[in-house]
Amino acid sequence: MDRGAKVFGALGQRLYSNRMRRAAKKEEPATYERLVYKNTSVYHYMSISLEFENEETLSPAQLKQFIVNGLKDIYGEVGGAFPFDLLKFDELKLTAILRVYNSGLVKLWSALTLLSSFDQERCAVRVNQERCAVRVNQVSPFLLALSGNSRELELH
Amino acid sequence: MYRELEKCPRSLLVCEKSNFENEKSSHDTHVSKHYFNHKVSLVIPECRSLPPKLASVINNFKKYFLIKDLPVYEFLDKDFLENVVWNGALYALSYKTSIDQDNTIALLPSSHLILSVDKDTYEQLGLEGKPSQYNHKQPMRYVVTIDLTEKSMAPGGKRYQRVLSSLKERVPLKSHFLLARHNSGVEGDRVLQSLLARYQWKDHTPVVRSHTLKDLSCPSLRSTDLRGEQHSCDPSSFLEWLGAVSAGVSCDNTATSFTSTYVCPEPNTPVSQALHCTLSGLLLPEDIYSLLQELRRYFDEPKFTSWLSLTVHGFMDSPVSWGDREHGFHKGGENFYNFVLFRNQDYWLHMGTGSNDRCPP
Repeated sequence: MDRGAKVFGALGQRLYSNRMRRAAKKEEPATYERLVYKNTSVYHYMSISLEFENEETLSPAQLKQFIVNGLKDIYGEVGGAFPFDLLKFDELKLTAILRVYNSGLVKLWSALTLLSSFDQERCAVRVNQERCAVRVNQVSPFLLALSGNSRELELH
Repeated sequence: MYRELEKCPRSLLVCEKSNFENEKSSHDTHVSKHYFNHKVSLVIPECRSLPPKLASVINNFKKYFLIKDLPVYEFLDKDFLENVVWNGALYALSYKTSIDQDNTIALLPSSHLILSVDKDTYEQLGLEGKPSQYNHKQPMRYVVTIDLTEKSMAPGGKRYQRVLSSLKERVPLKSHFLLARHNSGVEGDRVLQSLLARYQWKDHTPVVRSHTLKDLSCPSLRSTDLRGEQHSCDPSSFLEWLGAVSAGVSCDNTATSFTSTYVCPEPNTPVSQALHCTLSGLLLPEDIYSLLQELRRYFDEPKFTSWLSLTVHGFMDSPVSWGDREHGFHKGGENFYNFVLFRNQDYWLHMGTGSNDRCPP
């Protein structure tokens, strides 16, 4: 039942429907237009998964700090200082989606690949240094493409 | 050093605006030529559950088969050619083969057999093909296209025998295949069943998942403003938002948030609920077209939303994207399109591809 019917009953619904139809009629059909954008997205998106030697729990903030530390290790304070977003983190599956400006993609990707252990001093939550790996599952300039990865189609 | 690090592979986004009732509208061609579809995603603002008619179309998507270790020469069987390939739209795509590493095979409904193979296999096959468009300096991948409707490919013909002996004796290519058929004739079904009986197979129906999103912000769209210049959202930001909704990414952030600064693009309107429904499997263009037609009728009854969206993702490892345009995988194999349907039958069509793909039609 739509909002018109809820508020005004059957008569209200009819009046509301007529108004909506009139509104639709007033709109002129769109004329054909085609636009082609090359490299339109200023961002790249990465779908990653984490693997730990032992079972681990990690908060989104800890994960982001962990990656920031990895960037600094490789590219230094200046080279590693660029913004990126942790769009989503699934703490149970240890999978995440990152967003980075195109200019930072190669640096972020390389830093993720080379991350291999927690540093116990800088990542205070860790007591011991532990081995880990970050797997980059998918990279795309379209966030929409990350939800349609056909390589994840598993049929049994 | 850093300048080199800042380069990115190219991507293309084609945006079209038109009206379904426009005689020259080519929405049907775009749908029917995108052969291998892996996932369909629907976003309908101000909707709690699927309307019954829409649900019925979604539940009527055709089932498909997974056949294990099927030799490619089986497609050239005389009976199979006459009753299944030539007589009805057959879609077959090798399963779990990565186009940047493995030999990938596809049979299009236009009766074209496409073999995207590495250099060694190509040389052993001895069939005429072309180097892939997406090779680097040295061609390492070749594409062999065989039109099964050609006269020379009639069973018993000279070329037919040559292709058959290449695929049967020289390089017995085989792979797991996803296979689906749109037209089902009695004779075609019999031949298909006799093929299936010789191999391990299982039929699958597309998996439907739907859930309702609560209290979210939706971008405001005006059908006449495709570029997003007049109080509307630009295509890139809109697709990003759609991706965020599909992936379950939160938009409740601020510019100073440590983890994420992503917010819904402006202008936007708060929406109490929205329906997100997905289908995955080997989805036929004919079924997607039926869904599109049903979605057009969604606005026959008055609705609070002025738009809804339908996204279709192609297989990343398909050797073609639209029609027989070669498709490859560089950093990603994205090839997708998205319809935004408006109340007055206007629509936007966004088509996106990665670096190893030609410009969408």
